[in-house]
Amino acid sequence: MKHDRRNAAPARALLLAAVLLAAPLTHAQDSAAQWMTKVTQAARTLSYSGTVMVRQGSNFETFRLAHLYENGEEAEKLLSLDGPAREIVRSPTEVRYYFPDAKVVRIEPRTIRNVFPTLSPEQTANLAQYYDFKLVPGGRVAGRVTEMAVFHPKDGMRYGHRFWADPATGLLLRSRLVDERGEVIEEFAFTDVTINAKLDRDLLQPSWTAVPDDWKVKRGGPGEVVLKDTDWVVTKLPGGFTKIMEGYRTFPGRSEPSAHLVYSDGLVAISVFIEPFTVTHTQIGLTQTGGLAQYAVRNDAYRVVVVGEAPPATVRQIAQSVARRP
Amino acid sequence: MNEKISHLMDGELDAAEFEQCCARLGAADARATWLCYHVIGDHLRGTGSDSGGGTAFLARLHTALAAEPTVLAPAPQRPATRPATFAWAVAATLAAVTVVGWTALSIVDVPPNGIAKAREAATVRAAAVRAPTGDLPNEYLLAHQEYSPLALQSGGPYLRSAAATAPAPAEPRP
Repeated sequence: MKHDRRNAAPARALLLAAVLLAAPLTHAQDSAAQWMTKVTQAARTLSYSGTVMVRQGSNFETFRLAHLYENGEEAEKLLSLDGPAREIVRSPTEVRYYFPDAKVVRIEPRTIRNVFPTLSPEQTANLAQYYDFKLVPGGRVAGRVTEMAVFHPKDGMRYGHRFWADPATGLLLRSRLVDERGEVIEEFAFTDVTINAKLDRDLLQPSWTAVPDDWKVKRGGPGEVVLKDTDWVVTKLPGGFTKIMEGYRTFPGRSEPSAHLVYSDGLVAISVFIEPFTVTHTQIGLTQTGGLAQYAVRNDAYRVVVVGEAPPATVRQIAQSVARRP
Repeated sequence: MNEKISHLMDGELDAAEFEQCCARLGAADARATWLCYHVIGDHLRGTGSDSGGGTAFLARLHTALAAEPTVLAPAPQRPATRPATFAWAVAATLAAVTVVGWTALSIVDVPPNGIAKAREAATVRAAAVRAPTGDLPNEYLLAHQEYSPLALQSGGPYLRSAAATAPAPAEPRP
């Protein structure tokens, strides 16, 4: 017995050393992905309401937000507090965008689902390989003491990300995208928030119980994806991005389907759309809205549109290297 | 001056500044900047003559330069102007093609401030082509958000769409 113990001690020490040596990498990988999973789930499965400030480039806007999670279903209402009036009401089956100034309501079947409950092992590895991740005290946001997650990019192909979360519930209270010079290009932040309190159902009702007669009703939405091999490839895919989806979707009002491929580095996604080029496709080139860059380019008989939360150069590189599979 | 040229191209100068700026475009430096910004703009919009890559363009540029007559009596006052401008134009073009493709720039022998200027120029143009938010096709944005881990935070994907639709999204007003 005594003998055994004496032998076990060095073995344990060795094992401990091995664990300690292996720990930093595995821990960083796990913690970055786990943290992302935690906040994503929290945003979906908590009920909360508050005021959110959105900053895209030099534009600031505020919204009243109410999110309800009940019996496994989500409902949400967003109300713009400045700028042109907008109201977005999301029920489990559809999303309605109200534009009272223009007297337009846009109705979409609910298609955005929680595609990212967890990251794939490949995405988890990419996250650790292409970003330095650390958790630090984040100070106060919306009156709450937060923890801050910093994702610092290791190359110039992606933005830096900072997230402030409520440590108790995991709800994100502020997020920031910063470019390589450290300038904030997009920010979402609660200025006040109530989490898990009983939500007044009225907060989730649209201001119009029925669409007024003189309003225009537009039906739209991105259509459903049919997963399928498209025979399109990105030949110069920036490091760290892996394909997470490939298929076809038919946008409303179009006869031809568009190929849709999605690449992700675990933190952001970049979508590639390829569709037959038509003369109505006048929009070619770069468009930027906060952290979202879009680049459209003609590729022989096709138009390629790339959209993603990445620097314009990254989006552009992808757009220009789309080719038929050899 | 470079900033003024950029503003001129964007139609942001007032009448007096416009006259002043146009008068200054008589200088070779200013004209090179004007040309350089247009090349950058064309490339950023994908309407450049060489949106497929920089090699063909550079090859044509070199051929064109080689065909240029050699000036046997260079202007004595500004001997450095031509090479510096050329370097800058090349750097700017590369910067426009790759935008932040630093590695591509490092293989071209250009003065560091040329790179910085080119980069600044590219940044200026990138900022200038920023379109009104309502122009972003909502369908692409929405189709994309479904897969974006970022879009699934508090406020959900709709917060960003809401902000992106600031002017009602290309909806014709009745």
